[in-house]
Amino acid sequence: MNRRTFLAGAAVLGSAQAAPQSIPRKGRLKQGVARWCFNKWSLEELAKQSARLGLKGIDLIGPDEWPVVQKYGLVPSMVSGGGSIAEGLNRKENHDKIEKQMRENIQRAAAAGVPNVITFSGNRRGLSDQEGLENCVIGLDRVKAIAEDKGVTICLELLNSKVNHKDYQADRTGWGAEVCKRVNSPRVKLLYDIYHMQIMEGDIIRTIRENIRYIGHFHTGGNPGRHEIDATQELNYRPIAEAIVALNFTGYFSHEFTPVGDPARALEQAVEICDV
Amino acid sequence: MTRRTFFRAAGAVGSLGLAGISGAQPAPRKGRLKQCATRGCFGKMPFEDLCREAARLGLKGIDLVGEKDWPTLKKYGLLSSMVGSAGHSLSDGINRKERHGQIEPPFRAMLEKAAAFGAPNIIVLSGNRRGLPDEEGAESCAAFLNRVKGLAEDKGITICLELLNSKVNHPDYQCDHTAWGVGVMKRVNSPRVKLLYDIYHMQIMEGDIIRTIRENIQYIGHFHTAGNPGRHEIDSSQELNYRPIAQAVLDAGFTGYFAHEYSPVKDPIKSMDEAIAICDV
Repeated sequence: MNRRTFLAGAAVLGSAQAAPQSIPRKGRLKQGVARWCFNKWSLEELAKQSARLGLKGIDLIGPDEWPVVQKYGLVPSMVSGGGSIAEGLNRKENHDKIEKQMRENIQRAAAAGVPNVITFSGNRRGLSDQEGLENCVIGLDRVKAIAEDKGVTICLELLNSKVNHKDYQADRTGWGAEVCKRVNSPRVKLLYDIYHMQIMEGDIIRTIRENIRYIGHFHTGGNPGRHEIDATQELNYRPIAEAIVALNFTGYFSHEFTPVGDPARALEQAVEICDV
Repeated sequence: MTRRTFFRAAGAVGSLGLAGISGAQPAPRKGRLKQCATRGCFGKMPFEDLCREAARLGLKGIDLVGEKDWPTLKKYGLLSSMVGSAGHSLSDGINRKERHGQIEPPFRAMLEKAAAFGAPNIIVLSGNRRGLPDEEGAESCAAFLNRVKGLAEDKGITICLELLNSKVNHPDYQCDHTAWGVGVMKRVNSPRVKLLYDIYHMQIMEGDIIRTIRENIQYIGHFHTAGNPGRHEIDSSQELNYRPIAQAVLDAGFTGYFAHEYSPVKDPIKSMDEAIAICDV
């Protein structure tokens, strides 16, 4: 948190329009939520609910939306960095454009107290994993200094290529960790999406433990289906959250699933499950 | 199991009228999923006590019990639900053609004995790779299974090829991915040759448990369970939610056996009671 967000937060807390009393949480894991999963609500409504439930951040919102959530004491916990899922860092021809986007987005994020920006490998389209890896490293090497200077973490997202994002290249933790290892910056990490990685490789807790130094952010989701993270699906999220806290992870852990039941209930339950 | 839990458990089963020490009669089970267990789930309990407890808890059989103990199973109305490997081992398995001639006679003999005893399944293991390409290993496994499937069909017993993890527990074991095992099954194409899908091992190797089970149920003849990481209790201390997994297995129309195979860190009887309750869908 920088001075600016601190003051913004303080102003809200002091004002009459502050969110209703929030539910007390242990808060050892800073939980967030992805905006797109709760599109039935206005952003204002999502921010209000999130603050009440004890969430700390909202992922994947644009700069014009940041003040809306900051008003409720929430952090825009993951925002656009550069590239898209299909067109990313694995192709050198994308690097100029991504570097330009990164420079703008990182500066803006830093100025607003936003801790993370997202980026992607892009699809393979025939590119070997070895070449894709080398290109991602080259691309990230071009922007890591900006991130280090501004104190913002670039997170390369891991996604499944089996069900949701066919041909996406960053679809294995080992591959992503190797990229981070070579870039070797405290400001370049992985976004480990538990739902996506359960589809691709399983062994969640061991993988998190062995790669925690390369992980900057988490996403959740029930599998199969990407719905509630409750007892209807195959992952037991509480011990996973406990394992993360035990590793002294200090970043954000954001829910990213589309509720089939009542959204308010689904979100509250998710926060409770992971409040360890 | 520590000495302490052993004696506590032994005390509980020894005092017949006091079945209540380890928890009264277990709650009635729905029993739609037929559950079994391996011996290891009970720690070092004498086999006779283990069988009595297993029957009381509602288990249908015990996996991987040596022939000499089958009469004890029978005494307690339990099945020998998965007969152990014969003529080969986990590391030296059926993936080497040059070993087939040596494996076949003891395997056939054991299969016949198992069938005569009423055992529903007998296990086979791929063996380690030792540099053998996956394609060649699959072909070799299929060749062996094609030699013995007729006997299994005649005797009404299912040969189950076990999937194990090669990442943590069994480095270099070849049958370590569902797709590879399914490839073997397709080449053999027998209702009496299937996979033993071990949920613990496959969570370590590939995840996506429920989808994988649904998509491959016709090739699965048996299940094993355990918590991950650690291979202990299947309760809320580990990353898999076993109840929806059991539900998916049942909903897929599975009629075989679902066997627990973990090493308990808590009281074995209590843990087994809980494991059965979790999967009693």
